[in-house]
Amino acid sequence: MELNTIKDAFDRVAKRQKLFSSKSQEVVDQVGHEIEQALAKIQASNDPLSPIDLKSILTELKLKLNTMDPLHQLEGLQKERNINLSKYPKLLEKSFNPDISKAYRNVDFDFHIVNQILASHFYRQGLFDLGDCLINEAGEPEAIAIRSHFLEMYQILEALKVKNLEPALNWITANREKLKQNGSTLELKLHRLQFLEIIQKGTKGDALSYARTYLSPFASLHMNEFQKLVVCIIWVGKLDSCPHAELMAPAHWEEFTVELTQHFCSLVGQSSPSPLSVAIAAGIEGLPTLLKLANVMAAKKQEWLAIKQLPVPVELGKEFQFHSIFVCPVSRDQCSEENPPMLMPCLHVLCKQSIMKLSKSSSRIFKCPYCPTEASAAQCRQLYF
Amino acid sequence: MEIDPLPNGSGSVGTTIPEAAATTTAATAALKTTPSSKLSQLTESLKLEHQLLRVPFEHYKKTIRANHRAVEKEVSSVISSVADVADCNEPSKEDAVLNLTSLVSRLQGLKRKLEEGSRTENLQAQRCRARLDHLESVDAENLSEWNNVRLKRILVDYMLRMSYYDTAMKLAESSNIQDLVDIDVFQEAKKVIDALRNQEVGPALAWCVDNKSRLKKSKSKFEFQLRLQEFIELVRAENHMRAILYARRHLAPWGATHLKELQRVMATLAFRSNTGCAKYKVLFEPKQWDFLVDQFKQEFCRLYGMTLEPLLNIYLQAGLSALKTPYCYEDDCTKEDPLSQDSFRKLALPLPYSKQHHSKLVCYITKELMDTENPPQVLPNGYVYSTKALKEMAEKNNGTITCPRTGLVCNYSELVKAYIS
Repeated sequence: MELNTIKDAFDRVAKRQKLFSSKSQEVVDQVGHEIEQALAKIQASNDPLSPIDLKSILTELKLKLNTMDPLHQLEGLQKERNINLSKYPKLLEKSFNPDISKAYRNVDFDFHIVNQILASHFYRQGLFDLGDCLINEAGEPEAIAIRSHFLEMYQILEALKVKNLEPALNWITANREKLKQNGSTLELKLHRLQFLEIIQKGTKGDALSYARTYLSPFASLHMNEFQKLVVCIIWVGKLDSCPHAELMAPAHWEEFTVELTQHFCSLVGQSSPSPLSVAIAAGIEGLPTLLKLANVMAAKKQEWLAIKQLPVPVELGKEFQFHSIFVCPVSRDQCSEENPPMLMPCLHVLCKQSIMKLSKSSSRIFKCPYCPTEASAAQCRQLYF
Repeated sequence: MEIDPLPNGSGSVGTTIPEAAATTTAATAALKTTPSSKLSQLTESLKLEHQLLRVPFEHYKKTIRANHRAVEKEVSSVISSVADVADCNEPSKEDAVLNLTSLVSRLQGLKRKLEEGSRTENLQAQRCRARLDHLESVDAENLSEWNNVRLKRILVDYMLRMSYYDTAMKLAESSNIQDLVDIDVFQEAKKVIDALRNQEVGPALAWCVDNKSRLKKSKSKFEFQLRLQEFIELVRAENHMRAILYARRHLAPWGATHLKELQRVMATLAFRSNTGCAKYKVLFEPKQWDFLVDQFKQEFCRLYGMTLEPLLNIYLQAGLSALKTPYCYEDDCTKEDPLSQDSFRKLALPLPYSKQHHSKLVCYITKELMDTENPPQVLPNGYVYSTKALKEMAEKNNGTITCPRTGLVCNYSELVKAYIS
């Protein structure tokens, strides 16, 4: 798409309009000037003006205005401008997709649900008064349960920004068991941050006693990490020459913030990026394909609204793959519980139905469609992705 | 809402860092791997932005037309007034001076109006340019920030169409995107919508007059519907004589094209507003006014070159269709999938499932895509995980692997690679 041509086209429109606009003002000035002159003439004569003279001044004015024909003067410019005004939207329609709602299904899209999703999205972003404002303005009867969770999360995050780890620690302690199940090492990371703060700002004694109380419980599981940290105590006061100086990088705070956000969201049953952002991003990636599809289907007079599955794949980026989908390379079917993927002895994978077909219902040995190896149906085993 | 909300100013910029950072890394990672496909994708997605450029242009055009009409009207009326004065048979000096002075001040008024008008034109032209610049400004470096702005634009569009003006304005102001959203355009709609909600048709009729030629071009019958409603209100008030007069004046001109509807509504004269006859009963229902509001919104959007549906609904539907698989509705659906949430599931219910031509395998442990670089490996029990996840597990546990779904313990050497084509 040539944005430059569009810009040029718009500049032409704006230029013509400016010209037209100043010409209009000029014309108005001219008319005003003529009338003022006539007025001056009438007022200039102190003697009672003879009606004939008055009449002649007025007629002269009338004739002058008629020959001037101010509106006619504008016509040429107006024409040119109007051509540009009607050209530009046509250019836009040509360069862009003029109607992106073609792939829209006119189904009942419950706006209460959409509003709730929006409010949750705002809360998820920490925009609490925006979310509240929406709930109020839309008159949504149900408050959003997730609000209080996110409020807590943002209180923790706000504290982190000023390097106050206490709210984070409280939360981690309260959810220690669940975090452990998720394999999280947030607690260690938190103590590490606190310990390194003490190393940078406090005394050796403070650091040592902190390490004894809070770091030692992690020593057995995370020996390497523990040793690295404790070693830093030696360099208190000359941290620049410490071999582990990179541990003090502010980026660790950011990493911790990101990780804490992820774990927090997952514990309250939410995804860490806002689901609305994800769905819209997928929509933006997918819509061009869907629009092409809708056009083709309209041309073939197929019913867009009736299809249960899209006839063509809409390719989305890696970040939108959430589920394993196995498509049998022979039958092109998506596998399901009834028709699961099967691993052949040669390590190629086909769906069960394809294997049944190739082996004539497991009655004979067959050749793998991808390599020369032969196999029987009994040798194939089901896979679970 | 007893709890003090966090300060929003800092909230909108500062506290969103974790997610912004996460999406940035994702975006840059994606860009590094497939720059050309990402860029062509970007071009494709820019083509969806017709409305962004079209709406401010229509607004600009509207101002231009209004200013032009003012000049035409005033100048020709001044000229004809001069002619009237000149053609007067016995002009008196006082009258002539009085008349001409009033014309001069009228022209001065017009000039002031024109200056004001051209200021508005310039502002609107600037807005058109700002949007072109915004489209041009996107590149690989600022992509994730640009996408964030796009999401906000989409949300503002939705809220304006739903008449949630305060929230829309707050979001636009806090993100500093006023130039990229159409709040002022919707202010015009707000007046009409508010009036219709109060069961007044005046502003809506005035709007129809303002846009007469364009409504005629699109064969709109919105004005007719407004008139019908006014007629119904007269019948409801049992003001039958006035109703008939009203019909003669305002409904009859539509008879040629919309006779059936006209006849149906006229028949209400024979009924009362409490009629039990279903066909006429609906005409007296208050939801007819809601219907007029919807109708107005449609006409309004069409006039400004907007999509008839909110952008949010369009993108959301497209996204959900592309994401929807039978697995999304299973209990163990990953939380990262928007379709794991009930609200999204409900919205996606009437939408088609997506289709895949090629296998897409996601590792149960790392949630990463398994491909040739990170191939799937099979445990003796048939469960499949990514090489990356299994290697990491083996390194931590002296070469033993524990299947997270079945608890099976085996050795890393027992695994086999599966070939997926």
